[in-house]
Amino acid sequence: MRDGSVSKHDGVVVLAARVEGYCQMPLLRMREASFSNASVSAGPVTLDLGAGRRAALRFETAQQATVVALMASGIAKASNGCVLVGDYDPRVQSVHCKRIAAFVAHDPLGLDDAEFSRYVAYRAALWSVDLRSARTRARELLERLDGMHEAFAYPLIGALIAKPQLLVMDRPAPVYARNILGVIDDVALLTTHVHAGSVAAFER
Amino acid sequence: MTGRALAAMVQARLYVSRGFVLYACAAAALAAWLAPAGAAVPLLLCSALGIVAALEQTPGRHPHLDRCEQSAPLFGRELARAKALIPCAAAIAAVAVYAAVQIVRGLPDTGETAWTAGVAVVATTLVALSATLRRGWTRVLYVVSAGAVAGAAYAVAVVAPRSIAAESLFCAVVAFIALRQYGETLARYDPV
Repeated sequence: MRDGSVSKHDGVVVLAARVEGYCQMPLLRMREASFSNASVSAGPVTLDLGAGRRAALRFETAQQATVVALMASGIAKASNGCVLVGDYDPRVQSVHCKRIAAFVAHDPLGLDDAEFSRYVAYRAALWSVDLRSARTRARELLERLDGMHEAFAYPLIGALIAKPQLLVMDRPAPVYARNILGVIDDVALLTTHVHAGSVAAFER
Repeated sequence: MTGRALAAMVQARLYVSRGFVLYACAAAALAAWLAPAGAAVPLLLCSALGIVAALEQTPGRHPHLDRCEQSAPLFGRELARAKALIPCAAAIAAVAVYAAVQIVRGLPDTGETAWTAGVAVVATTLVALSATLRRGWTRVLYVVSAGAVAGAAYAVAVVAPRSIAAESLFCAVVAFIALRQYGETLARYDPV
């Protein structure tokens, strides 16, 4: 992943990441995508992210980072501009988008072992994943995420259970960048950040 | 939406609200032990519990469940049905506990009372659910409307024409409209 351009809009600096030399249709396309309501505005963001590629975007505030991550995963609908996840527009085909993209929130998830087992079953049921294979995959991911705090590992594992093509992470901790990048395999990754140091950690 | 997903959502929500459900059932048991026979106390008490159970579903109270549900590949109407089932289940549990204690006390017409309260509680809870997606005076308006539905159901069932069938019909119509409205609002809901 390389940064292609930097655009400035309403004081918000957005790094527009563009995957060069990628001939297939991008998995995530954002064209001047912005969101605004009474309390928050974010964007515009322009981005092409191909399958298996990575992009890290930096924003001025945590709220803007969260909103763009939600837009990229099809949860929040862009107020202006265009977002396509795969070939689907979240404004009209959000269910299809959510089968492709998985979202990992910034907040840690404090669970004990029994609750984690219930959490895996819950995620597997919502995404219609076979429970046995979900548990096996969760165990395998947990082993591969050795060294990462459980509170940060559990939501990531929950998101990867359904084998998404695109993983969108809202302000992941840079200290766990190596663990995260080591476990996602060929899943495309979009991360949003506030600090330049965090962006650098996920660009390596 | 698969039955498995529905069950998982209901189970997860009831698990995080288990404290409230237990207190609601305990309050219903205590009221049933002390109150005289009749539909007034179970209908109004359990309707109030249903309103609180509905408000417990307000986005932000359990953020990780909210995010999971929002990011899951589910249609708005499916999500609405599942989320509607949760407070209804909690409120119906309170009605069931109330009825059980009344049976233990040997009070008459327990089944009729439970039915009268149960249908009113479902309608009231579904109206209150729309308050969870709103703020300010519209939120208050939905809560007040839910209370008014409970009062109207009681009036139809007990006070004026004394018809449980009429009350059931009234509550079914209100519940249907409320659930549809909640589904449409949830589909348009902005999670930011």
